[in-house]
Amino acid sequence: MADISIKVENLVKTFGEGESRVEVIKGASFEVNKGELVALIAPSGAGKSTLLMMIGCVLQPTSGKIWLGEELVYDKTWQTKDARKIRREKLGFIFQAHYLIPFLNVLENVALLPLTSTEDEKAVRERSKEILRFLGLGDKFDAKPSELSGGQNQRVAIARALANQPEIILADEPTAALDIERAHSVVKMLKEVTQTQGVAIIMVTHDERLLGYCDKILKIVAGKVETTHSVESEIV
Amino acid sequence: MINLAYKDIQHTLSKFVITAMGVGMLLGIVLIMIGVYRGMVEDAKVLLNDVNADIWVVQQYTLGPFAESSRLYQDLQDSIKVIEGVDKAAALTFQGMQLFDKQQNAVRVYTVGYDPLGDFQIIPETALIEGRVLRESHYEMVVTDKTGFALGEKIQVGRDIFTVVGITKGTVSSGGDPIVYVSLKDAQVMQFSYSNPRIRNDRARGLESKDSQLVNVVVATLKPGYSANQVSPQIERWKHLTVYSQADQIQILSKNVIERSSKQIGLFTLILVLVSSIIIGLIIYTMTLEKIKEISIMKLIGIPNFLITKMIIQETILLGLIAFVFGNLFAQLIHTNFPKRVLLELPDSFILLAVIIVTSFLSSLIGVYKVLKADPAQAIGG
Repeated sequence: MADISIKVENLVKTFGEGESRVEVIKGASFEVNKGELVALIAPSGAGKSTLLMMIGCVLQPTSGKIWLGEELVYDKTWQTKDARKIRREKLGFIFQAHYLIPFLNVLENVALLPLTSTEDEKAVRERSKEILRFLGLGDKFDAKPSELSGGQNQRVAIARALANQPEIILADEPTAALDIERAHSVVKMLKEVTQTQGVAIIMVTHDERLLGYCDKILKIVAGKVETTHSVESEIV
Repeated sequence: MINLAYKDIQHTLSKFVITAMGVGMLLGIVLIMIGVYRGMVEDAKVLLNDVNADIWVVQQYTLGPFAESSRLYQDLQDSIKVIEGVDKAAALTFQGMQLFDKQQNAVRVYTVGYDPLGDFQIIPETALIEGRVLRESHYEMVVTDKTGFALGEKIQVGRDIFTVVGITKGTVSSGGDPIVYVSLKDAQVMQFSYSNPRIRNDRARGLESKDSQLVNVVVATLKPGYSANQVSPQIERWKHLTVYSQADQIQILSKNVIERSSKQIGLFTLILVLVSSIIIGLIIYTMTLEKIKEISIMKLIGIPNFLITKMIIQETILLGLIAFVFGNLFAQLIHTNFPKRVLLELPDSFILLAVIIVTSFLSSLIGVYKVLKADPAQAIGG
């Protein structure tokens, strides 16, 4: 268990009641280790985002178990009253669009979350600057999201996800809005983060060209998750 | 820690300020309405305070001269003057009428007739801003500046032409109409003289048209050591008149004459405050809805609720405070343009400030409710 970042066991999610009841996830089980970049693939509507939200403690599963690190966070019910605390302490999120706070500058967007849980503002700002420099945004601290390109904003979003030193990053199609060159650049950065910081990343993607960077692929088939270690087998 | 409210306002400063100005204008109107009410109450007392009599003697069983019609013989002033305890007495007339300026525009005025050579000088010296008080018994007029007449201007009233010899400021009737002062003799002609055809008609009916020396009220001041309660019974018993003290007259004016109007304005003001509160609430609700995506993101990444709700509450209260400042500026700028007195008083502003802070806080709860209900899942679109 020591090397496992995410463990999901027989996870089920249904929506609706009676005749309109739809079972989206029908008993998913898989593990993601520390330092792994894992792709989550499936056709649209197969439940990728649903699965990601359940792991992210945003959406309550119908049944099953979820461990984040060594902590059992869901077993029939949430094991903590404050799911947001788990998100704050263990998880980082990257979305399809960057979803930065438009009224905060780059540095403030990155530092906002860690500043809520520490008194040492100076240290947080320094670390946020360090991450931004690592992502090639050392000269953009004071820029507003509206002043940056799509790729730059997505890198700020990655910086924000990293700022709180999470164990896990959940990335929902982080390259969907980028051209292929920038998409490769962003996934390379995510790969580097897993290697240098030991963070586990689950990345939802439709782009098969990016699967080569991944250590493992989770594929949702008929509501269940199949784990593939051979990336080539998934590329058509 | 980053102040989210400050950052958000800084980001949309012009929009925030314009919104605050809009709400401020609404609050300014609330202040103006309160000022209209205060002005009405204050105006009602102006003439009473200017006359500054201890007792007001009127026709028996009437509330005259402001609330009901009252007619007395002028010579009653002499009878009253000799009653024990009375110091000075004077007969006065009051009449609403319409004058015409040079362009033949109608000017609504309230005419006060008094004897310029008598015991009472009812034009306060402090109110006289140009010219002088009445000195002659005929054809002189002192006008309030709001009538628009100039010093030396000739004004025709019936068959007579009057000359403006003085101009006062702030002298108004209980209804807020500007006052013109004329001599008692002229005022009696204006109010009680019949036209020639009327006199001929009355003669044909066998009636005798009298050009009586009538007045509306006799006012008196009392000697030191005497009170209205001591003197009034003598006058009421032996002269068959009704006597009111200065306090009674104020009570009559505030209860009988302006109560309904003031209630009307009070109710209107209350509705305006309510509408303003609803508008502030709606603005906060809209402002929160505009940020709901950012709020969902913040909730999703783990920002605690108190930080987000603090932003909403701070923005709301700041909006209320800025609107309050704008409201006061707006009211101060426009209140002199109203035809009747608008009295803006500091305590009213402070009461409104308290109302605005409470309203803003309650309105922010709508925003807070939206924050608490915001689904973090919205951020990643399900």
